[in-house]
Order: sequence, then C-alpha cells, then structure tokens
Amino acid sequence: MDPIILMYAIINGVLLGGIYGGVALGLSLIFGVLRVINFAHGSFLMLAMYASYALWTAFGIHPYAGVLVTVPLLFAFGYFTQAVIIAPLFKRETALVVEPLGALLLTTGVFLVIDNGVLMTFGPDVRSVSTEFASGSISVMSLPINIPRLIGCLSALLIAVGLAYWLRHTDTGRSIRATAQNRDAAALSGIHVGKVYNITFGIGAAILGVFGALLVPFLSITPTTGLSFGIKSFLVVVLGGIGSIPGSLLGGILLGVFESVASQFVTATSASVFSFCLFIAVLLVRPNGLLGRK
Amino acid sequence: MNLKTKNATATLGLPLLAITAVVPLVVKDAYTLHSLTMIIYFAYMASAWNFVCGYVGQMSLGHSVFAGVSGYVTVLLFTGTGLSPWGGMLLGGCMAAVLSTFIGYPTFKLKGPYFTLTTIAFAEIVRIWLENTDEFMGIPLKGAQGLVVPPSPLGWQVFQFDGKVAYYYIALALLIVMLAATIALERSRLGYYLKAIRGDRNGAEALGINPTRYSLVALSISAFMTGLGGAFYAQFFRYINPERNMGLDLSIDTAIMSIVGGQGTVLGPVLGALILHPLAELTRSYLGGRFLGLHLIIYGVVLIVAVLYFPKGVIVPLERWLQRSGKSKR
Repeated sequence: MDPIILMYAIINGVLLGGIYGGVALGLSLIFGVLRVINFAHGSFLMLAMYASYALWTAFGIHPYAGVLVTVPLLFAFGYFTQAVIIAPLFKRETALVVEPLGALLLTTGVFLVIDNGVLMTFGPDVRSVSTEFASGSISVMSLPINIPRLIGCLSALLIAVGLAYWLRHTDTGRSIRATAQNRDAAALSGIHVGKVYNITFGIGAAILGVFGALLVPFLSITPTTGLSFGIKSFLVVVLGGIGSIPGSLLGGILLGVFESVASQFVTATSASVFSFCLFIAVLLVRPNGLLGRK
Repeated sequence: MNLKTKNATATLGLPLLAITAVVPLVVKDAYTLHSLTMIIYFAYMASAWNFVCGYVGQMSLGHSVFAGVSGYVTVLLFTGTGLSPWGGMLLGGCMAAVLSTFIGYPTFKLKGPYFTLTTIAFAEIVRIWLENTDEFMGIPLKGAQGLVVPPSPLGWQVFQFDGKVAYYYIALALLIVMLAATIALERSRLGYYLKAIRGDRNGAEALGINPTRYSLVALSISAFMTGLGGAFYAQFFRYINPERNMGLDLSIDTAIMSIVGGQGTVLGPVLGALILHPLAELTRSYLGGRFLGLHLIIYGVVLIVAVLYFPKGVIVPLERWLQRSGKSKR
C-alpha cells in the first residue's frame, strides 16, 4: 500500500479519533461518578447537532458561534434528565433496592423519546450545514489536513485538559471526585450528592454541546446519527477504561485510526463490523480497558 | 411458584386464553385480525426473551439476531431447495440456538450493562454484514434489499394461507407452547437455578450451580423460540430484510414489553405486549404518516414510568389487586 495514502489515513484517523474521544468524555465522566451508562449519550449529541443546524438555518448563526447557545442548552438538558428522570431511582436505591439495569433502562427510554422526537420534528431527511471553510485544508508536509477536523481534535484535547484541571482544582470538581470515590462518605462530609449528580450529568451533556457544533460543519445529520455515535462512544470508553479522561482520548484515537486504516482495505461499513469485533474482544479480554486498573 | 401467584396466573391467563381462542369466530375484519396477530406475535417474542433474560436477570438487546437468522434460513431453504417452511422453521430455530451458544458463552461472563452492550454488538455485526452482502458462497442474500417469499399454491405444506385466520391460530399456538414452557421452567430445577443466579450469582456458584452453563441452556431454548417467531414473521409478511427482522428496534421492542409487563413472570410479557403493541398500532394507523416515530416516543415514556413506578412490572400490582378482590368475594 502506498505509504502516503496510509499516512494520510492515519492522520485523518487521529483527527477523527480525537473527536470521538472528546464525544466520549461525557459518557466516561457520568459513568465514573454516577455508575450510570447513559444510553442516550449519542442522542444528546444528535440533539446538539440539530440545535446548531436550527440556529444556522433560522438565524444564520455560524455553528462555532452557536456554541454559546448549545452548551447551556445541553447542560440544562442533562441536568434535567438526571434531576427529574434518574434521581428517583437513586432515592429508591438508598432504600437498598438494588437495580443495576434500572438506570440503563431509563436512559434507553430517554434515547427512544429524543431520537423519535427529533425524527418527528425534522423528519428522516439528511441535513447539512454548508460553511465556506468546510472543505478548507492546510497542508503539512504535502499532506492535506481538513481544518474543521483539526479544530475538533484540538478542542477535544483542550476540553479534556480543562476538565481534568477543573476536577482537580475547584471546589465543585473536588466534590464531584469525592462523590465518585464514596457516595456516602461524601454525603457525610456535607456534600449535596444529588446536586453533584445533577451537575455532573449536566457537564457530561454540555461537552456534547461543543462537539455537536464542531461536527456539524463536516458531518451531515440524520436522526440516527446519535445512535451510531453513542455506540462508538461506548466502544471508546471501553477501550480506554471507564472513568479515565486520558483513556477516553486514547481510546478515541485508537478507534479513529483503526477505522480509518481499515476502511482503506475494506468498505467503510465492513470497517464498522471490525470495530464491533474490537469492542467485543476488548470487553472479553480486558474488561477494565487498556488504561483501566484491575 | 407458590400457590398465590399460580392462582393469579390462572385467573388472569385462562379467561384471556378463552377470549383469544374465539375472537376469529366473531371478528372477520382482516385489518383487525392482522393487528391482533401482531399482538400475539409480540407477546410470544417478549415471552421468549423473558425465558432467559427475565429469569437470569441479564438484559439482552441482541435477540433480534436469532429471529433474523432463522427467518433467513427458512426463506432461503424454501426458495433454494423447496424445503417446507415448517422444516425450515425448525432448522432455523436450531441455527439460532447454536448461534446463541457461541454468543452466550463468552458474554455471560459479563455483568449488567456490559452484557447488554455486547449483545447489541453481536447482533449489529450480523445485521451490518447481511445488509452489505449480496451473495455469500453462492447463496443470494440480497443485502439491504431483503428477501421475498415467492408465491406458491396455498396450503399447509408451504405455510401460505388465504386470509389471516390461519396465521392468527399459528401465532396463538406458538404463544401457548411458549407459556407452557415458561410454566414448566418455573417448576423445574433449571428455573430455580436461574432464579438463584439472578438473586446472587456468587452465592449460586458457591452452591455448585454453574451460572454460565445454566444461563446458556435457557438462552439456547429462548433463541430457538425466538427463531420460530422470526420464521413465522417472515411467512406472515412474505418478506424479510435485515433492518426490520434483525435491527435493534425489534430487540428493544420485545425487551421493553417484557420489562413493562413484568420480567421473570409467566404472564408479564403477554401483558406488556397487550399494553404496548395496541398503542403502537393506534398511533400508526391514526397519526402514522404525520408523526413518524410517535409510537416509539410513547414506548420510551411508558418504559421510564414503568421503571420508576412499577420496577417489577405492571403485573405485580395487577396480581395483588386480583388477589384482594378474590378474597373480598369469599
């Protein structure tokens, strides 16, 4: 195989993979703190994408500027989902009724409502935002690099660093980490656990508000976009180890490169079959992820 | 199974069964019969799902693959070799059971959401492969286009009938077999093992129950039954494609019906199908074209409400109510 094409595939894979990692950050954060797998994660992303699309068609707001709207919107959405729908389950769980699948079922319900709600409002048509620089690229060592993807990947890195710093050095961040470590001990030291959960869910969703806007310039949207991204995020999180921020980025880049290189040899759909195989293999061999601790 | 719930199953199930058996004598409208057959079909599929997932306490969202594989085997054998769909159905069910063992053996080691996600991954692999394969080793699979059951002279041998009544009774017969199997499971050693695994996996293992082994036995029976359902669906519609017969939607539908109705009970899944499928039919027939996906929104909301307020399924308060009214009469 031509080394230049392979090089190009790898670079593209890293860029796209960085974005995958960034999208998965919220899923990983929410699981790390709440122990809830948010099945609606991809749907939140899809919602953010439609929000930026709507802003662009209705008011002509550039998706990147639309972040100012989509981030608070998604934060509110995540906060609401946790506070209204999932919180009652946690209240029951304190009464020692353990229902490990309950939260997964609830978020599956949320997934059905969002995906089909969007399908009902916008219809099944493929939509896209065409901005002038969508196909713009810079060339590094005679290899073209797509600018929106580069921006997406760099933002993922920036958000990951910012999130890690915020979790480490602020009061809210500390209380989130404390709750993740031990919910009851955190509650005893005066942390309002319920509120921490709501905020964590909100932040996990707010990150998707950024990526929805970043993806729209080069990715067309349909109501099923969410599910495919959701499944990819599970894959990323499992690869990198659930709850780990660097693991999420690493898992994303691994998946991105894997998909991109594999699709040089087989069709893109067959490549997605391979990523499912990768997912199963990792779960069975290293269920704690590549960076996860035993 | 204790005496109380047994009574409740009988007081709820037998009248329901009697009504279902005579409906086609009264109802002649083809559309209504078609809808009723679909309710029975979904009750059957949800019960088959419940047979393993409800009793072991693991949620599979990959059951559609069993239905799909068996449906394809049936149709392909009929078009390719002229084998009667009845034989194809059994062979397809066996194929599904074998496939389920391959999927289940590694997957049952995983717990909770990990199990669920892996079952989705397995089903998606088969579906995506099938959707993009037009021909495999000389077998025309026709990819996303799907397969049509070729028309032939009607009759029992070819599983093609005039009107809906025959299909209705076949679905009902399947459901009765499934429910009988579930009742037998409740009373059998296997049933107790499965419940022990659901209650405390490690505890069950300490008592000498091999969780993977017994879960696999239940899974292969469940997959076989799901396979029969998939073959029935293929014959009923005379058409199958990977999206409808193997997609995530089918898995989610059957799982939700079972969970809303009450998993790990005999009649829970039937009740779930009885509540949910008519909702889907009504929204589709009255609002269908205008509100795409509305019935799935309703499914989502019902699922959320059920998980929050009836964590053991709608059947539990219903049975309690039946018992109370039974007592007050005496």
